[in-house]
Order: sequence, then C-alpha cells, then structure tokens
Amino acid sequence: MAIKFKALSYIYNKDMPYAHKALDHIDLEITEGVITAIIGETGSGKSTLVEHLNALLLPSEGSLEILDYELAADKKVRFLKPLRKDVGLVFQFSEYQLFEETILKDVTFGPLNFGYSPEEATQRAKDALALLNIPEELYEKSPLEISGGQKRRVAIAGIIACDPKIIVLDEPTAGLDPKGAKQLIELFIDMNRTLHKTVILVTHDNEMVYNYADETVLLHQGKVVYHGPTLKLFNDKKMTEEYRLLEPQIVTFRNLLIEKGFKLTDEARTLDKLAEEIRKQLK
Amino acid sequence: MNNLVFGKYIPIDSFMHRLDPRAKLIGLFVMIFAIFLPKSWWAFLAIGVLVLLALISAKIGIRMIVQSFKPMIMMMIFLLVINALTVKTGDILFTYGTFALYSDALYNTLFVIVRLLLMISLTTLLTATTKPLDLTLAIEWLLKPLEIVKFPTYEVALMVSIALRFIPTIIEETIRIMNAQKSRGVDFENGNLSSKISSILSLIVPLFSVAFERAYELADAMEARGYVPGAERTRYHILRFHLRDFFYIFICIAALAFSIFTRIYL
Repeated sequence: MAIKFKALSYIYNKDMPYAHKALDHIDLEITEGVITAIIGETGSGKSTLVEHLNALLLPSEGSLEILDYELAADKKVRFLKPLRKDVGLVFQFSEYQLFEETILKDVTFGPLNFGYSPEEATQRAKDALALLNIPEELYEKSPLEISGGQKRRVAIAGIIACDPKIIVLDEPTAGLDPKGAKQLIELFIDMNRTLHKTVILVTHDNEMVYNYADETVLLHQGKVVYHGPTLKLFNDKKMTEEYRLLEPQIVTFRNLLIEKGFKLTDEARTLDKLAEEIRKQLK
Repeated sequence: MNNLVFGKYIPIDSFMHRLDPRAKLIGLFVMIFAIFLPKSWWAFLAIGVLVLLALISAKIGIRMIVQSFKPMIMMMIFLLVINALTVKTGDILFTYGTFALYSDALYNTLFVIVRLLLMISLTTLLTATTKPLDLTLAIEWLLKPLEIVKFPTYEVALMVSIALRFIPTIIEETIRIMNAQKSRGVDFENGNLSSKISSILSLIVPLFSVAFERAYELADAMEARGYVPGAERTRYHILRFHLRDFFYIFICIAALAFSIFTRIYL
C-alpha cells in the first residue's frame, strides 16, 4: 500500500461559526505502482485530500499512512523533508512556483533542498529537463521569459528532479494546448510503466481519466463514493447518472460503433487503441 | 495565515450585519469619543454593556473577539512595565530594592487596557459584520463633502475597494505558492539566515509576478467593461437608512452623552 487513509476528516476554520468539513471520514487505500485518478465536482475535497499527502494540512481527525510515514491528528510531524521528497506534488498552475534567475537553477532548487550535493542536483536537474523536452539552450534563460507551456514543463521538471516515489498531479494539463497536454500526460504514464512510480492524477477531465487511469476515486461532498477500476465506474450507468459524470467521448463513440455491429472491447480506451481494434475488423 | 481574525468578515446574518454600513461607521466614530473621554468606571461599565449587547446581536461569538485580543497582549505587558517604572503617585503596593510599585501605575494601565479592549471589540465588530466593499461605500459617502475642494472621492474609494478586494486573493495566492515551495523542500520556519533569505525569495518573486499579472488583467477587464476614470456612475447597490440605523446611531450618541456627563459630574 502506498497510501492509506484511516477515518480521516479535515475541517476548515475549526471552532469558527463558518467551519466547513471538507473531508468526512475518508477510508482509502491507494495501491503502489498504479495510476489512480481522483475525480469529483469542485468543492468535493480533492485538493484538500491532496494537500494531506505532503503534510501541508494535517488531519483534524483520523490518520494517514504514506509509505513509511504516518500522519495523525494533533501529532507533530518530524519527517517533513523526507516525506516531501518521496511524494512530489505538482500543483495546479505550477508555473507560478518558478522564481530563480535561470531555469537550470530553478530545477536544481528542489534537489538541493532535499540534500543532494550540488553536482548531483545539477545532474538530476539536467536529466529532468531533458525528460520534459526543454532544449539545452534555454537552461540559462530566466524562467519568467519562456512560454506558458514551457514554464509548466520546467516547474514539473523541478518536481521530477527530486526523484519522488509518488507523483501527485493536480490538473497538470489545465491551460495547455491539446498536443502539449497529451505529451505531458504520456510522460507520466511512461514514468509509471518504466520506473514504477505511483501516479495520482487529480482532474476534472474524464477523457483523461478514462484513457489513462487504472483506478479511480470519486469524491462527493468530502466522502469517497467510489474506488475501483476506472472502466467499471464509467460502465456503471447508475453511478454515472447519480454523480453526473460526463461520459467520455470515446465511450459514446465506441457504443455507437457497437450498435452498428462492430465488436469492440473495453480495452479500446484510447483513440489509438480504438483505431487499432477497428482496423483489425475491417481487414 | 487562515486564522487571521482581525479585520475578517464573518458571512452570517444578524442585526449588526443588516445595519447600514454608514450607520456603523458613524457609530464607531461616536463611540471612539465615548470611550476616550470618560475617567469614570461607570462610563466604562455602561459602554461595556452596550458593546456586549452589540456583540451578542452580531452573533459572532465571544471566542473570536478574545482571539482578536491576543496580538495586544505584548503591548499590554509593555504598557504595564512603562507605567510601573514611571508613575510615582498613589499608594505604594510593594517595594523591591529601590523599586516601588504605586497603585496609580496599575490603575492607569488598567484604564488604558479597558479602553483598548473596548476599541478592538468595536472595530472587530465593524469589520466582522460589514463586507469590505460596503465599508468602502460608507467611506466614500463620508468623504462626499470633500468633493467641493475637488477631492477625487470616487477614485480613492475605488482604490481602497480594489485593495481590500485583493487582500484575500493575495493571501490565497501566498498560501498556494508557499505550499508549492514547501513541497520542493523549503522550510519557512527553520533554517539559518541564508536559507531564510532564499526561502523568502522563493515566495516573494512569484508573488510579485502574480500580482502584476493580476493588475494587468484587472485593468483590461475594467476597460473591456467600459470603465472610464472620472465618469459619472450609477450604483447597483444603493444604501438606504432604515429606522434601525437611526436607532443604532441614537444609542451611540446616548453613550457619548453619558460619558460626557460622567466626565463633568463624576
């Protein structure tokens, strides 16, 4: 188990007249090495849940195990740095975290904080930047001068360079063009498949969830209402109707094709795979 | 930072919330005089009861008021020390070596503290029950007479309301950037001087760039919606005085009258 929530609740503005329970007795186990999507309407508690994974918020009630660390209500945390190194959080609009004079320095910032030697940190930064397709001639440029999409990739490189075991992404593709978004998400899928990183994807984009996530957690008003295989959730008409989940286009398309006599499986969950299955039958 | 109490609006409905912001602002000014004039405990008792009634009718809870006192504790201690060292009148309460504590020192300090506590309660009451934007409307209204001398009332009020409007946004932004940097291993609480400076930089630089970006966006948005500086404008929200507003101001004036009375006759 990579992450285990045990009856965890979080209350904003506790003891104030306008206290708000954002997470309500969450019991949840996130499996190591898989891609888990966390979905739910705005205000369902997704971000609150994610902030617990880096001890940015501590549980009001209950507890949370992440790898070998345990967070509990009213317990002082002594392992902030190692925890934050092992769990890399890529925030929404992560480009706003850039601040150093040069791109290379900015990406080196995280690894240096987590105790890598300067040489090692620079090497990690260069590897991460290369992984994210940032050309070498940009390394000495200011991170505030490059395009929005590049900024996002530099910011993400800053997290990858710390070599986290778990990567948490909060709307990583918001505001990116479709091609850039696809490249980015496939990079994380690749990191999951080859380096066996646990990937947690927080998003509103059901297409992305359906295409890539092995498992899905559905939050509703601070409670977990579904946790299991992604395909099962979107095949469950009762669930999708009750929680008003938008059917992924690929499902709609596939169902229309099935009506017309094609024999297609659930495995055709990305456009490429669907095309492949169709091609086989046309031969 | 989310626990900042002073100046925070509490979005509930109560008698105090429904009052006209202008009435509340005038009431506050009147009460400032009522609090600082008297030298008798009777006046403080009367004002204290009124403040308590106002707090109860605002439904914001004593707990919050007590929390807003917390930042003042250091100042109170400081006051007590200064008074103890300088005031040499009244009875001697005790001596320690060459130092003697006089009763007037305690008495004066207590006086100032009571005044401060009443003031803080009243201002917290105002900000907790009045939306910042309503407050600027009230300030604008009070500044109206200055238009005769070509004082740009509306522009000033707009500047104040934009500033107020963006405080929570900037706080939110600050928390977001702090969280992002914490995730990258920045420790904002501990560390030596050079790491402190670098951690502050990692917060300030993005914050500035966000603030400027927002400012440009806001200016564009305002122009796109036809904002012309200095143009005559109508309001969506029109403030109207009700009976309860006059009642509230009347009570404040009565309190002032009572404290003037105690100042002269008691």
